[in-house]
Amino acid sequence: MPTEGTLSEAFLTEFIDDLYAEYAERLEFVQRDLLALETLIGQPLSDKSLLDALLRHLHTLKGLSGTINLKPAEELAHHLESYLRAVRQEQVELSVTDLEILITGAKELEQIITAHRTQQALPEINSTLNALALALSGTTVAVSPKPLGDTVITPPPDLTASEQARFNTAVQQGFSWWQVEFIPSSNLAERGINVNMVRQRLEQLGRIIQSKPLIPPEGPGFVFEFLVATPPVNTDFSEWQLEGMTYTPYAATLPPLLESKPDELTILPATGTPTTHPNQTAEVPDEIPLILNNLALGPATNLVRVDMARLDELMRLIGELVTSRARQENVVKQLKLLLPSAQWRLLQETNLVLERQLRALREGVMRVRMVPMGTAFERMKFVVRDLIRNTQKQVKLELQGQETEIDKLVVDRMMDPLLHLIRNAVSHGIETPTERLACGKSAEGTIRLQAYTAGEAVIVEVEDDGQGIAIEQVIAQARSQQLLAEDATLQTRELLELLCRPGFTTQSCPDLNSGRGIGMDVVKNTVSLLGGFLTLDTKAEQGTKFTIQLPLTLAIVDALIVAAGEQHFAVPQLSIREVIEVEMTAVTQLENNEIIAHRSEILMLVHLTQVFGIPVTPSRKKFYVLVVGGNSGVGIVVERLLGKHEIVVQPLNDSLVQVPGIAGATELGNGKIVLILDVAQLGHPSSLARRGKGELTLRKVS
Amino acid sequence: MKHILIVDDSITMRRMVKVSLRSLENTAFEEAGNGLEALERLALTAVDLMILDLNMPDMHGLEVLKFVRKHQTFHNLPVIVLTTRGDEINRTTTIAAGASFYLTKPFEPKMLAEQVQQLLIS
Repeated sequence: MPTEGTLSEAFLTEFIDDLYAEYAERLEFVQRDLLALETLIGQPLSDKSLLDALLRHLHTLKGLSGTINLKPAEELAHHLESYLRAVRQEQVELSVTDLEILITGAKELEQIITAHRTQQALPEINSTLNALALALSGTTVAVSPKPLGDTVITPPPDLTASEQARFNTAVQQGFSWWQVEFIPSSNLAERGINVNMVRQRLEQLGRIIQSKPLIPPEGPGFVFEFLVATPPVNTDFSEWQLEGMTYTPYAATLPPLLESKPDELTILPATGTPTTHPNQTAEVPDEIPLILNNLALGPATNLVRVDMARLDELMRLIGELVTSRARQENVVKQLKLLLPSAQWRLLQETNLVLERQLRALREGVMRVRMVPMGTAFERMKFVVRDLIRNTQKQVKLELQGQETEIDKLVVDRMMDPLLHLIRNAVSHGIETPTERLACGKSAEGTIRLQAYTAGEAVIVEVEDDGQGIAIEQVIAQARSQQLLAEDATLQTRELLELLCRPGFTTQSCPDLNSGRGIGMDVVKNTVSLLGGFLTLDTKAEQGTKFTIQLPLTLAIVDALIVAAGEQHFAVPQLSIREVIEVEMTAVTQLENNEIIAHRSEILMLVHLTQVFGIPVTPSRKKFYVLVVGGNSGVGIVVERLLGKHEIVVQPLNDSLVQVPGIAGATELGNGKIVLILDVAQLGHPSSLARRGKGELTLRKVS
Repeated sequence: MKHILIVDDSITMRRMVKVSLRSLENTAFEEAGNGLEALERLALTAVDLMILDLNMPDMHGLEVLKFVRKHQTFHNLPVIVLTTRGDEINRTTTIAAGASFYLTKPFEPKMLAEQVQQLLIS
């Protein structure tokens, strides 16, 4: 039996994933709120809701850490909480340096939980703990009560300090005041009208200054009373009468009697109009004109937390459906000759309807897996802030398209690559203010992070207005590492290729922030593993732009089925820019390469037959070239195009059958297994050097 | 069938309590993520026991507890307070406010289950 305070492992594993998820979620809130706190430095502390939220999240994080017996995290969360509580109670004034410590603390909290999850050594946090303790012992600030201003609205007597602050702000903004009462009942609850939903509605209308329960003089239940301030436009609650709510304008100047002894059970006398109850006729006071916009809402937001594994399973089942339907289509085709045409048409029609519905189902499930890029982007703010702290640089991060949605898996995998690109932009791209001013730019550099959807793909751009990549330096470095011939020049895509080589760096003295040349290869590999493309555009003095094209989802894609020799392959449609028909005579031989001219561009041809060692069928006059996307300058040669299919991607996980240039396998309608080409890899000539081993293994598969 | 109301703003904690009490027979769970919601659940369903977190948004658990004790229908309801270790609110304050039992997180699942069972019988 476990000792008190520790929990058995079997018990923990049941909800550890939930715990990690909630931990991450709350950490994200904490990080966001800490950044927002910055604007409050040096300001009088009038609205404490931000601090309250922070305290709550930290408190829960502390509790969660304790649950998994993660002492350092528990301690750190506790210290962060204590410091913020002191700020909240106006014992300590928040300073820029202290905020830095808090932000570091939050980051370390994240590191600890990540280390715990991945079973790595926990990071060192003592310096932060000390710094927090030191900050806490800082100066005490006297509390100065703020005047209410010349207003007739008197607060109810039992407001807490934070409620009082909210009250004052709303008074200063000239808000209208309402007292709303809600009596819950099973009837209402069945219709989705409950206290949480009422609160949400009220929050949409204005600000809830106070919410409290009351015990009604008779009856078994509770009544909830809200004091609400709405913007000074006209508000109407009359439709809510049917939903267990009553309202009265609140304009109370309270009798002095009540002010002296606050009691939780005091029902506030609402002066003016008497309270209307739902079972009475609704009396709408004359001074409330009717304008009603978003009140006729359905039930409140319904969010369900779903384990990714379940969604994966659902996607897998749909994948099987797609395969079965493809098989059925094959049968339908074969039946065309055997069935009377009227009957066959009926069958074909049903088959087509099925296809459409299946596609809708697939898209539906896909949408469930989609999350907005925004969460990933928000974290980058934090990263940038952290990076410029130790430099003289001034950097502004512009975010666009946070609402763009993409498969959860893709966004998770893209986190590290995005981090690398942002780091690079800050450390290498953006110059110091002095340098920037010297070349006529504004002192503050801009990094733009943008996401948008383009067809079945999502494009993510990371652009800075810094100094651009020093091409000469890269060339010199490449020559010294014998990666580039002495007389060769460098095209943009070769530049990218070089930058993405493992271990390649132009940094003579790597700084802490962005590493020693590890990074760009990680970026490129991740992107190409996800079936995407990375392109680069850089101009000296003007900046650098990385464009990443990613598939919306990974599991099911539209693909072209092509043939090279007797072997069939599936090619994800997204990865090819276009398909062209080429005459043999159009091919030029250049050294060891075959090239063709196409749209003022030179394409280097890659023969699948050569790459995979497939016997060549007797030569033809014409063949097809699949132009690889992402301006790689490569065309893949195939002999025949066999059609377009929706395919289910099955990754080849077995290392024995992993072949460069092959991304996975899929089953076609006729039950035949075809291999899926990894076009991104084929598009990089350097990767083809490793083809020898692939040849051997491929034969085993086919 | 006994109804247990679990009040905690952390979904993980609610889940954990449920897992801990899985061995109890004939019990059903109600959940609430904040104080007001907890009171609403109390008013609308016949709750036999409440497990209450203290640090919650909007309405502190202690307020919920005091309130429940003032209400004629619920003043005898068994309430187990479950709160984070090292909270400034201690056992004495909580018991004085009317808690039937006080347990700190991380808690021993078996101990919680035993307490719940005992309180449900009495």
